[in-house]
Amino acid sequence: MNLFRSEEHARRWPAFQARSEEGFIGLAELAGFFATESRHHMLDADYLSNWYPRRVAERGAYLERIGKTSPFWLGTPDPTRTQ
Amino acid sequence: MADALLMDRMFQRIMRGLADTGSAPHYAELARALGLGVEQGRLLLHDVMRAYPIGWLHPETDYIASFPPLNNLPTQYRITVRGAQRWFAQCGFEATSVTWLFPGETVRVDVPCLDCGDPVSIEMRDGRIVWIDPPGVVGHLNYGFGPSRGRPPFL
Repeated sequence: MNLFRSEEHARRWPAFQARSEEGFIGLAELAGFFATESRHHMLDADYLSNWYPRRVAERGAYLERIGKTSPFWLGTPDPTRTQ
Repeated sequence: MADALLMDRMFQRIMRGLADTGSAPHYAELARALGLGVEQGRLLLHDVMRAYPIGWLHPETDYIASFPPLNNLPTQYRITVRGAQRWFAQCGFEATSVTWLFPGETVRVDVPCLDCGDPVSIEMRDGRIVWIDPPGVVGHLNYGFGPSRGRPPFL
């Protein structure tokens, strides 16, 4: 999960995975992805018990909102790939 | 599993310790602060890390390596606040959420591009991006989220 100067720079990275062509995200969308409500409470006394458990649902909802609904982004099983 | 209140208290001590100093406290220090024995502190730390699996201990140790959004082990994602470069983000994605640990402050992220080594810099304040260089900076997820992403220490 890295930041690159541009998509072309990422594609030239020797470790670039061909499948990760769908792994690009604009910086504004990325900042939004990591700005869901629970993130605002990371210093709170009840973060671990109360806020952290909400994170998965928040992330899923945000990814759906920006159209990143593939197994690659959602971390769900990918029926097109065999183990 | 330890009680939730105690785990919350240790979690907050670690997160605040990292934000305040740039380094995560050791379990012996956490134990003393929480009024626990040292071994109780060590076991509680393991419980906290199991409950927060996006962070991790350095393999085969009790040392906190990663406690996102920050990293106790240096990464290429250098974080500067109030003119002091004291922190490291876990990864490029988590770097964009460090801003939430420093309300009202400008948080700067500096990282060399893994392709060319040239600098990438971002400044954020209260979640807003206030400066980017170069303007075309992108995030890139090389392995999908979930089980395919590989072993956490090599994120």
